[in-house]
This record gives sequence, C-alpha cells and structure tokens, in this order.
Amino acid sequence: MVVFASALTFFFVNLAPGGPASIMRFDVTAEQRDVLIRAMGLDRPVPQRYAEWLAAAVHGDLGTSLLTNEPVSARIADRLPNTLTLAGSALLISILLGIPIGLVQAVRRGSPIDHVLSLASAIGLAVPVFWLGIVLILVFAVSLHVLPSAGVTSVSSDTLWDRVTHLVLPAVALATTILPTVVRFTRSSTVEVLHEDYVRTAASKGLAPGVVIRRHALRNALIPVTSAVGALVPRLLGGTVVTEAVFGWPGMGRLALEAAQGRDYPLVTGLTVVIAAIAVGASIVVDLAYTWIDPRVRLQ
Amino acid sequence: MVSAVRRQLVSLRALGLVGALIVSACSSSGQPAASGTAATQGAPASGGTVTIPIGADPTLNPWSPNAFVESLFINRVIFEGVTKPGKDLAPAPDLAESWTTASDGLSWTFKLRTGVKWSDGQPFSADDVAFTFNDIVLKKDLGAQNAASYAALKQVTVVDPNTVRFDLSRKFAALPSFLAYNAGILPKHVLSANPLTTTSFNKGAPVSTGPFKVEKYTSGQSVSLVRNESYFGPKPYLDKVVFTVVPDPNTQIAQALSGDLSIMILDNKAAVDRVKSASGLVVASRPLVQYYWLALNQTDPRFTDVRVRQAFVEAIDRNAIIKSVELGYGSIANSPITPALAAFYDPSLASKYPYDPAKAKDLLAQAGWTAGTNGVLQKDGKPFQFTMDVGQRGVLEPVNALIQQDLKKVGVVADLNTMEWNAYIQKVVVRRDYTATVNWWTYPSDPDVFPYYHSSAAGKGFNIPGYQDPKLDDLLVQGQTASDLEQRKAVYKQLQTYTSDTLPYLFLWYPQEIDVLSSSLHGVPELGLRDAVQYIGEWWLAKP
Repeated sequence: MVVFASALTFFFVNLAPGGPASIMRFDVTAEQRDVLIRAMGLDRPVPQRYAEWLAAAVHGDLGTSLLTNEPVSARIADRLPNTLTLAGSALLISILLGIPIGLVQAVRRGSPIDHVLSLASAIGLAVPVFWLGIVLILVFAVSLHVLPSAGVTSVSSDTLWDRVTHLVLPAVALATTILPTVVRFTRSSTVEVLHEDYVRTAASKGLAPGVVIRRHALRNALIPVTSAVGALVPRLLGGTVVTEAVFGWPGMGRLALEAAQGRDYPLVTGLTVVIAAIAVGASIVVDLAYTWIDPRVRLQ
Repeated sequence: MVSAVRRQLVSLRALGLVGALIVSACSSSGQPAASGTAATQGAPASGGTVTIPIGADPTLNPWSPNAFVESLFINRVIFEGVTKPGKDLAPAPDLAESWTTASDGLSWTFKLRTGVKWSDGQPFSADDVAFTFNDIVLKKDLGAQNAASYAALKQVTVVDPNTVRFDLSRKFAALPSFLAYNAGILPKHVLSANPLTTTSFNKGAPVSTGPFKVEKYTSGQSVSLVRNESYFGPKPYLDKVVFTVVPDPNTQIAQALSGDLSIMILDNKAAVDRVKSASGLVVASRPLVQYYWLALNQTDPRFTDVRVRQAFVEAIDRNAIIKSVELGYGSIANSPITPALAAFYDPSLASKYPYDPAKAKDLLAQAGWTAGTNGVLQKDGKPFQFTMDVGQRGVLEPVNALIQQDLKKVGVVADLNTMEWNAYIQKVVVRRDYTATVNWWTYPSDPDVFPYYHSSAAGKGFNIPGYQDPKLDDLLVQGQTASDLEQRKAVYKQLQTYTSDTLPYLFLWYPQEIDVLSSSLHGVPELGLRDAVQYIGEWWLAKP
C-alpha cells in the first residue's frame, strides 16, 4: 500500500508541469538552469530515479530535499510531532464533542434541539477552514487578546502552558473539518440502533432509558462511527495543510504545501509515504477498536 | 451540545466583529497617511526586540539558488556587501570604504575597511571578497544565484589584504550598484569546502559581518538575531531582531493588528484602510525599483509592428489598474527606469500615453487591422485573438482581467490562461512558449537594464519579449561604458525616450510598497523594507 502510494506520487509529481523552485525563477538563466538540473540529478529518467529512491528508502533513507539540501527524513521528523499534536487534539475534540452531540440528537430526534444542532453541523461542514481560522484569530487574538494568533510557542517562552494556548485555536479550527461528520454518523447510527428489537426488548424489560442507551444502544451504534472516524483521518491530515498555513503551525501540512509548490520531488514523495503510513496505521487502530467495542469480532 | 451551540454563537459574534471592522475601516479611510518616522520621537533609546514576518523558512546564503524572496531580509541584515544601497539608492560604502575605476574602465579597485571581524572573531580580509566572487559567483558549475549579473567580471584580484581589484572583460559602470544588490561577502574560512550547500550555515547559524548575527534558527517558526559583538560599526540600538515565519498574509495582518509585529510589508493593499484605522500602527508608502510590464512575444508577427504595441498602451486604462489593484499606490510607467532612481528618472514621459481607446483604434487601423465580425478586428481574414498566460501571484490575476476588458473595447480578444506559478515560469520563461504575458522586474538600484533589453538576451536571457534593436543595444552599451555620472544620465535619458517610443515591453506602472510600522519604531529610513533593513543598526524603539 505504502510502496504503491510512493510510486504513484513519485511519477505524478515528476510529471507535473514546472520544476524545483531553484530553477523555476524569473532571474535564472538557461545556463544556470542546466547546471542545477544536472546537480540535482534531474537529467536522468524518472523510472531510474524512482528505482534508486526505493532502494535507499527501504533502508530508511528518503533522499535529500531539493529546496534545503537536508535529509528528507530529518525534515519530516522535525515537523511530524507538531502535526500529530494538532491532528490528535482535533480528533480528540471531535470525538469528545461529536459523539455526545450525535447521541443527544438521536434521542431527541425531531425536537427543536435536534434541528438547531443539525443546522449547526451543516454550517460547520460548509465553513472553510481558512476563513474560520482568520475569524478565530481576529476574535481571540486581535480583539479579546486571550490567545496567541499563530505559531507553536512564543519566541521568548516555551512552557507547556504556552504551547497549550497556541494549540487551542488551530485545533478547534481543524476539528470543524470532521466534527460535523462524526455528529451525523453518531446520530444516524444511534437512530437506527434505537429501532432494533434488542433495544425495544431492553426498554420493555423496564430498564431505565439511560441504561438502555449506555449498555445496549451506544455500543452497537459506535461500530459504524468508529469506522467513520478511521476514514476521517486522511481528511483530517488534508485539513492540516490549510490550518497550519493560517496559524503558522510548523507541521507536515505546511511542509507538504511548500514541497509541492517548490516541486521538491523527494520531499513530496517522503511526505506521502509517511502520511500513507499514518492512514494505514489509523485503519489498523480502527480494526483493533472494533474488537474492543464488538465482542463478536474478537478472535476466539 | 452546549459547546456546539456556544461555538456557533462565537462564529456569529465573529461575523459581527468582521462587519464592525469593515465599517470602521470605511469610516476612517479619509485619514491622511502618516509618515514612518514622524517628528515626535526624541532621542534614540537602546534596547528592545523588533519582530518582522517572513513567508517561509529562509536560506541564509545570498548566493544559494534556494535563497528566495523571504531570505532577502535576513541576508541583507547579517551579510554585508562590498557596497550597499545608500538612502538615495546610489551605492554607498559597506565593507569597502572607497572605490575607483581605472582610466580604461576595465577594472575597479575597492579599498576595504580595516579591522573588520567575522562574527566568530576571525579577521575579514580581501581574501574573503576574492573567494566569494572567484570561487562562488564565477564557478559556473555551482549555479550561484545572480551570477548572470557578473558576466563582465573576469576575476577578483587581491592587491593587498585591504584592497581588491575587479578585472572586467568590458566596461561595467554599474558594478558598484550591482555589488550592493544581494551580493553579500561570505567567509572563506568557513565555506571554502562547500560554499552553497552547507546546511549548518544556510539553515543554522552562519558566520557573518553585519550588525546582527543569528542566535537561533527554528525551522518553520522563527529566526532570531542578536547583536554581533564583533561588528565594526556603531553598536545597534536594538537588542534583538526576530523574523517569524507566518505564511498566510492575512494572519500577518492579524498579527500586526494584535501588536505582535514591529514592521511588515502589506502585500494585500485592500487591507490598508483597516490597518490605518488601528491604533499603534503607522502606514507608510515607499518607492520601489520595480515596474510591471506586458510582454508581447516578438516571434509573433502581429506584435512586431510598433503601432500595435503603442495602440495596446493607449487602450489599457493604466490609471484604473493602479486605482483598483494598487489602491492608488503606484504611478504610470513609460520606461524601465523607476522614479525611485531619482537621479536618472525622466518625469516628462509620465503623460506620454494617456488612456485613449479612440487613438488606439486609429493606430490599429493604420497597422492594417480592420473591423470584422462581432466587433473583433481582423487582418487577412484572421481575427485579432491571442492567449495571455497568467501566473497566480500577487496582483497578476485581476490585472490581466482588466487588460482583457480594455483590449476588448478596441476589438482585440485576449483569452486568459491562468496557471500555478511554478508551471507558469516553466511555460513562459523556460520554454518561451507564450504569446503575451504580464509580469514585473525588480532590479539593482541602477539604470543599467542591459540584461532585460539587449538583443543578446532575446529568447533565452531576461529579454522576455525577445525584442531586438541595434539602436537600443547601442544605448545599453553606451550606458555601461559611460565614464561619469553626467554622461550616464544623458545616455539613460535617451534610453528612456527611446524605449517609451519603441515599447520593447509595454510598460504598465511603477508600484509602491506599503509598510506597516508599530508607532513605537523609529529610525527606519524611507526606503522599501528590503532596503531599509540594511540600516537596521539605526532603528530604535521608544520606551513604552
């Protein structure tokens, strides 16, 4: 899977019009361009370059960035923790808020509160992150002065509290890319489960409504939600590109944008490999979560 | 549930706030623009930190092919050239104290400052200058940035530890100006093995000679500078200079509004009124050595007729472009020499081609273009229709749309083909596979525009339209070989008149830069920020 993604990326990014930013400048002469193309090894055929890249990659060497001459793995390792912190926080926010909201909507289906919350998630789904990000900055950093506008730490202080305050706005902005979907999945699957015979049986046994929902409905309703959350991880990682640019967050999303704009072929490929690995990892985690939620899936 | 409702309420309130911002911006647009260094300042005070935003991680090496525009600020603060742009943009002493040219004009001798030290304490000498040029710029297989500007340079000879001589293959009167333009001298003792790709230098803490040196480079976040204790000049007032990496220009504006930045370039001029209305910020317009142009590919026979080129200039409402796209921060251009080069600029040409669609139609008719179907001009049965390639950067997209409308009014159809920047460069610049395109040139503070106009650069160098004209070539060479300032002024006055007649490029406008400064920041010269940073030793912060 990961190898396939790397091959696809390597060939597509090399086929894209343009070239590394160092040669795609107005103020570079044809002569300089030729020199730099040779220095970067881009005068050789793409399949040959991919074969060499793959041979090195299986030994953990993802190549050298064309834009900075640093090892690709070092550039990614530098940014990966920031992206995982941001995306992890956004995921946590989405789950901790999305599941209860969806549950409330399902239980109070058709009530005014259901309609208000449905409208809210429709708006949340429609608002673009870059706009929401700027609005959040204008409100909380410019007007209220309660949270910092951008960056991962202040230049002068680097405490845990400082880092948390910097994380709040980008995490909230990024969470909106998946929160409405989590809410909708929770709502629809809970609504479905509430109509199942075993829930009706449990209710008719005289169990309290809270117990019915917690013990019988929720667990079954969460199965499709779990797979939805797994499927949302790639969207979440895609959302980091815009979020990180708006909030000046030094993560992989911004690195990917710079790499793509600058046609840094090895860096784009390296990032794709890492992101593909994360997506594959997320689906493995989802599979493991199934076994916890649904005893039927457990092996013997 | 409660949180979700609150979230939506916050968004609604935020919408209200944005509305309020717009209203307050409108109500304040009548305020006069304040000048950057107002009179109310008192004596310079020592101390404090200045914060400047940049769009991406910089490469701390002025000759690296990967040192893009975001690298200019820091490189111009930490590295010093043989010369630097004076406050009048004429070359001024930097590492050199004085210079003379030989009587045959084929060499320049620079007397270097004595007692200059690198930030690691090692002495600076003529060897470093020779190393920078002989072993980096002139080494063709390194592909150093800007190397093409030194085509006339044969070598740099060390005369004695404090004297260097630039030996030339032809006269090059603009050499001291070019040496002031992104031509920082690098330390031989650090970079002799690997001048352009030493990561610990380019992305770490380089050894430099300027008033500040790098304290810490944090990738994706910031580069902080502290005073260079080995600096030869007067001690700077500021304690620290921090460049923060903020890629989104709107976030930069928000940071300026929240008081996080000391000075920035306002690229999005639409926000100028909003910034002017903010307390604690000052807005200033600055001259630039830059002009926008429309290039018509001279391999297309329709555009080799000067009447067609003149007709296009008459047809394009350049004042409307300046007003709508630059919000008035610019002036009409009719030659490549910008008003910022005050000693050379000829203001009498400013009114040469007023917006006049009727005259444009006349000129096109003289060139054989007659009315065809649907109001489109035609010649030999073919309609006057072509494609303009548009790069996605800055103001280029709206400008092209305005030009398209103006040309349509005189019966010329321009189809716009918009592309991502990198792909655009490959098509237009590398392959020269284009018919018409709008862009700009920024160049060293000297009227020597040889590289952009000489016929030797047509089709491959910086002569984008591929215009070739022996008389223009002659003027360009005369400008390079003129022996004194008065003679150069006379040549470049002729060159301005001649290019405004012949229109190798269709000149559009000279932009101005809008800088946003914290009102506590003083001592910043009235130059574009990328030049003003070369005087950062004179900047100071008023005590709160």
